[in-house]
Amino acid sequence: MYPHILAHGALGIFDEIIFLGVGVVFLVMIGISWIKSRNVPPEFDETNAPVETASPETSAPDRFKLD
Amino acid sequence: MPFCLNPFTANSRAVTLWRAAAVVLGLMLVLISEPAQAHGYIVRSIPEDRATLERAPVRLQYWFSEDLEPEFSSITVRDQAGGVVAEGGVSPDDRSLMEARLPTNLTDGAYINELRVAFASDGHVIVESRVFFVGEPSSDVAGLAASDQAVALEVVWRAVVYASLVLLLGTTALYNLVLLPAWGSKTYPAGHLPPRVMSRLNWIMTIALVAAFGGNLLALLQQTMVFFGADASRVLSDGLWQVVRIGTRFGDTWNIRMLLLALAAALHGAGLYLRGSQPETVRAFWAANAWVMALCMGTLSLSSHAAGSLLLPWVALVSDWLHTLAVGFWVGGLTALALVLPAALRPYSGDQRRQALLAALNRFSPIAGAGLVVVVATGIYSASNWFDTPADFGSRYSGALALKLLLVGLLALVGAAHFMALRPQRYVRFEAVIRRVRRFVPTLQLEVVLGLLVLAAAAYLSATPVPQRQFDAPAPPSATQVVGEYTISNTATPGGLGVNTYDTVITRNGEPVDGLPVALRLVNPAHDWRGVWHSAENLGDGLYVAAGADINRAGHWLTLVTIGQGDEAVRAVFEWDISVDAGVIDSIAPGWLNVAALAGVLLAVGYAAFPLGRRFYHKLDLSPSSLTVAFASIAVTVAIVIAAGMIIQQSNGQYEAAISPPPQVVNSVLPDTASLERGQAALVAHCGDWRQGADWDELIRRLPRLRDEELLTYTQEGWRSLATCDPSLTEIQRWDVVNYVRSMELF
Repeated sequence: MYPHILAHGALGIFDEIIFLGVGVVFLVMIGISWIKSRNVPPEFDETNAPVETASPETSAPDRFKLD
Repeated sequence: MPFCLNPFTANSRAVTLWRAAAVVLGLMLVLISEPAQAHGYIVRSIPEDRATLERAPVRLQYWFSEDLEPEFSSITVRDQAGGVVAEGGVSPDDRSLMEARLPTNLTDGAYINELRVAFASDGHVIVESRVFFVGEPSSDVAGLAASDQAVALEVVWRAVVYASLVLLLGTTALYNLVLLPAWGSKTYPAGHLPPRVMSRLNWIMTIALVAAFGGNLLALLQQTMVFFGADASRVLSDGLWQVVRIGTRFGDTWNIRMLLLALAAALHGAGLYLRGSQPETVRAFWAANAWVMALCMGTLSLSSHAAGSLLLPWVALVSDWLHTLAVGFWVGGLTALALVLPAALRPYSGDQRRQALLAALNRFSPIAGAGLVVVVATGIYSASNWFDTPADFGSRYSGALALKLLLVGLLALVGAAHFMALRPQRYVRFEAVIRRVRRFVPTLQLEVVLGLLVLAAAAYLSATPVPQRQFDAPAPPSATQVVGEYTISNTATPGGLGVNTYDTVITRNGEPVDGLPVALRLVNPAHDWRGVWHSAENLGDGLYVAAGADINRAGHWLTLVTIGQGDEAVRAVFEWDISVDAGVIDSIAPGWLNVAALAGVLLAVGYAAFPLGRRFYHKLDLSPSSLTVAFASIAVTVAIVIAAGMIIQQSNGQYEAAISPPPQVVNSVLPDTASLERGQAALVAHCGDWRQGADWDELIRRLPRLRDEELLTYTQEGWRSLATCDPSLTEIQRWDVVNYVRSMELF
């Protein structure tokens, strides 16, 4: 008997196809995010002053370069 | 007005935090120290609990809302004296069905069915007993409600695994979405954060990974102990854990989770190993690990209440996954932030310290807000799955949910206060609230404690059984006939659409008769449809069993039971009225509340994904030509999909009508032994005895493809060399002839 991972297997074989599909999509995303983060350097505002604010309605900064 | 932050690095603060965490852990254990119960439950039982039957049933059948583990599930039937009268287990054809065959010589009295049920999705084992009476009911005998064998060990591993996975996801998400953009600098090639911050993050990841591995190993040990009823030393010395790991669904989910954790550990280890030689890879490993942990959180959903939902199980599963992801981003991120802040802010004081803190909080605030919205929306959808009647609101599950909602509400209030404190100009009227929380750090600690309490409440909720829906179903159709020397009883269980078991008990002079050739066929006269002949298996005690999915629509059905072969054959015909609600419920249609809750989930996900969508939107080419092509493509695609759907639907209808059109004339005569005898006599006397005709064999060969109304036409008009029957034959006599000719199909 085909081993179902899900409790019901209401969609039959499609349960497993969807399940494996989700896994494959995430594995691809893992690979893409690794390659992108490896090859594309992040863009930082290296100046600490003057302080930028996140939006006009907040007085709080959203960037502070830690030393 | 300058902020006056207490030194977060002070030992007193750390001690307070850990004390609070210890209190939370204690509360967690107290809260969930009640026995956890399984997610599954009985959706149909034959006979019903405490049913009083005139005579003993042939078999006991219990359908559950989820699949069971065959190796660890059993049923034992005892009489009032405690003697075992029958044993059974999970049906090889249906893993959600547990059945036991009963001997036919059961005397009047009370019978106790002991069920040991191991659910596949969560590995929970319950033991309960049910009672039925043959003859007179007795008030002295009662069954036992389901009890759970979960031990404190289960509570511990569930809490550890849940908390560690939430922290792992929260830490990786915090690094990528908050700390890097808020504090990142190219000065530090290994992770773009100062070494003290990266070191703290690495420690959090390492400890959480160790906790997750440890919790999972504990899970396998505890689950094996429950399945085998063995102690830890025997589980380890005999290698029983391997059986559970390889041979159960709990083991499947466990393997997947361990595999993903091993991948996360490998990525984390690689980042640590390469931080000196290839520092640019550190950020890449952290980015990849965020996706690994998001996938790993899905394994929690695979063993959640959602996995056992009868209502749109896939939607419930995805909703639960979104729920755990949102909790990970919100509570896990918050906890990780609270643990990182002391190291990150150590060199700063005064206004610089405030700005560094606010930079992180300002980045985290929208993530927490989106997480809260998704948690609430998916929580409402999940609740709508389980609350069916007003009585459900008084259940223990309802109480556990209320506790969790209360804590989530408190957490949301603190979060809202922080949100306003970050925007004092906009929320001037809440100045009093803002003044209380503007130091942020103490109330962040409070938020973390509340977050841990929410996790504890979530663990409690996941260990609480959901309200069980009641499904009213008619008793399975059953009847007894005397044909010749035989008394024939036939039962179709559960007696609804789909797979049924056909039990035929044959006795002669009160004694069971074994060794007979018994064949059985289902007929739907209104559609002139016949199933295949099932050869029934003789299981002893006069019981002959067959099974099939012949009943495919509601309405009037016949079961033809033929005993013996050739001229000695006898035929019994049983009539049933099959209703749609007679089958075993394996799914529930969504109501308006479920649809509304699902719409809420979609809106919440849309709200959470809005910033991403906006960024994507700004990257789009919005020139008129591009928009025209895009809209035209979408319109054409939608039109093609709709047209294809309509064509497929129409084709299916035409195909159905072509292969099984409703007959013009319905055979109104039951094809029982008497009808067959009459038909044979009429065929000989009024039809020139077709059996002597040259085309008789060809007619018999074609019978599987011929409908009754066609055979009726042959009696009126003849067929090839087979003569027309006497015009004086009545319609009933003609149907008798048809029935007799049809009976030749088997013999």
